[in-house]
Amino acid sequence: MGTKIKIEFDEMNVQESVTYILSTEYGLKPNVLKAEIKDDSSGIMILTLEGDQSKIDEAAEGLRSKGFTVSSLERHILRDKARCFSCGACLSLCPTKSFTFDEKTWEVHLDIDTCIACGSCVTGCPVKALRLNL
Amino acid sequence: MSKTYEEINDKIKAKKAVVCTAEEVIDLVREKGAEKASEEVDVITTGTFGAMCSSGAFLNFGHATPPIRMTNILLNGVPAYGGLAAVDTYIGAAQMTEDPAGGYGGGHVIEDLIAGKRVHLRAWGPGTDCYVRKSIEADISLDDINEAYLYNPRNSYQNYGIATNTSSRTIYTYMGKLLPRMRNITYSSAGQLSPLLNDPHCDVTGIGTKIFLAGGEGYVAWQGTQFNTANEEVNGVPVGGSRTLALIGDMKGMDSSYVRGLDISGYGTSIALGVGIPLPVLDADVMRRAAISDEEIFSDMLDYSLPSGRKPMARYSYAQLRSGKVEYEGRSIRTSSMSSYAGAKKVAEELKDWIEKGEFTLARPSAPLPREGRLKHLVAKE
Ligand code: SF4
Ligand code: SF4
Repeated sequence: MGTKIKIEFDEMNVQESVTYILSTEYGLKPNVLKAEIKDDSSGIMILTLEGDQSKIDEAAEGLRSKGFTVSSLERHILRDKARCFSCGACLSLCPTKSFTFDEKTWEVHLDIDTCIACGSCVTGCPVKALRLNL
Repeated sequence: MSKTYEEINDKIKAKKAVVCTAEEVIDLVREKGAEKASEEVDVITTGTFGAMCSSGAFLNFGHATPPIRMTNILLNGVPAYGGLAAVDTYIGAAQMTEDPAGGYGGGHVIEDLIAGKRVHLRAWGPGTDCYVRKSIEADISLDDINEAYLYNPRNSYQNYGIATNTSSRTIYTYMGKLLPRMRNITYSSAGQLSPLLNDPHCDVTGIGTKIFLAGGEGYVAWQGTQFNTANEEVNGVPVGGSRTLALIGDMKGMDSSYVRGLDISGYGTSIALGVGIPLPVLDADVMRRAAISDEEIFSDMLDYSLPSGRKPMARYSYAQLRSGKVEYEGRSIRTSSMSSYAGAKKVAEELKDWIEKGEFTLARPSAPLPREGRLKHLVAKE
């Protein structure tokens, strides 16, 4: 799956081609999962990087020196377990099949590692137990 | 061999009743046959935990000094009915706050009350000689109001259609979020655990049957609205939405883990409730019917992108639906359930536990549900 990172930018660096820098300068293979730019030209980009961890660390430092905020993606989707009632509405909405039924109890499990933060499940949950945390 | 209600209840009171869930009897009947299984088992418990949009609660707030005849009522901002006597109201699960984007509705008010939370009441009245007050504000909880009971005109649907979307845009329906070009399908019955699929002609379920309603005790009050017996049957159970039940139960004994206020994007608010009905094993036929499994229960897929005139596109069993994907014209389509099978299992298990412990006896119905019911359509004026 590669390493998932979040890059935040603002109007100063919104025009830089992050993926070009990552591939040409550091030999990494980036895959953009999500990019959002707001009206004020700030925004975030979620991507996976394939390549050596040392190169990924170097790339993160390099981007930081250009004014980007770079962080690893953790707890990027949150589920309120007390509200979730394991209906399963989210299952077919997830492109990466991150939700699965427990074979015995039929409770719904969420594998956060495979989640690409697309947001599809968020509106599909009838108790609004899911939230993106980017 | 046959048993009576009295014999079964005597065993329950002596904590000697043998109780199985509708899931457990599937294998039991496969192994031993219905005859033998019906000798061994006294009660079969069923369960479902899903959206039950036609639900609501009657509340009586008690009188203030001076008293008010409430004609406009808000509970946490959700309008409740003001056309009953002075301090009685009915709040419907699908009622939303004035701002529909709020995602909060009558179902959430009911959940909050059952969870023991305080709910903000605002009410207005005309002010009359006998009810001089014109407005009131109060924070109420289930403990400090008089009666509070659910009365749900249509619950526990016997089977239901499968939804898909052939259009090129995502649609948001009461059957959930349907992705474009049939990229997913949704279904909503608890199948082999669902109360009315285990007693398909309501032979042992009738008016006055005591049930599990949202973690408390309730009763079947009447046939549900849109009670329909005209659908095609396969393996003795109807394909698609058929019979329904009107249910009643005291909110004060309910458990909020079996209640969820719903906010179904693009549709509105609703409520999900856990409902379980015990079936007395009076004879082998009760057992035979309850042994039905997901492989034998079918439903038809309908295109929810059509505003009306939806024709069956394909037929799937609940075993296929629950596997996570089905085949349609050579391609595989992923499925989502709208009702919680985990919750249905919990309901059936908890009801089983109550009966085994001798805490819940069975009530013989006082009147049968209708043998026949047909849907009428509303004809709009040209
Ligand atoms: S849609 Fe929401 S409530 Fe249903 S299983 Fe998924 S997270 Fe839980
Ligand atoms: S955000 Fe997208 S990838 Fe993540 S769990 Fe939800 S649907 Fe799956």
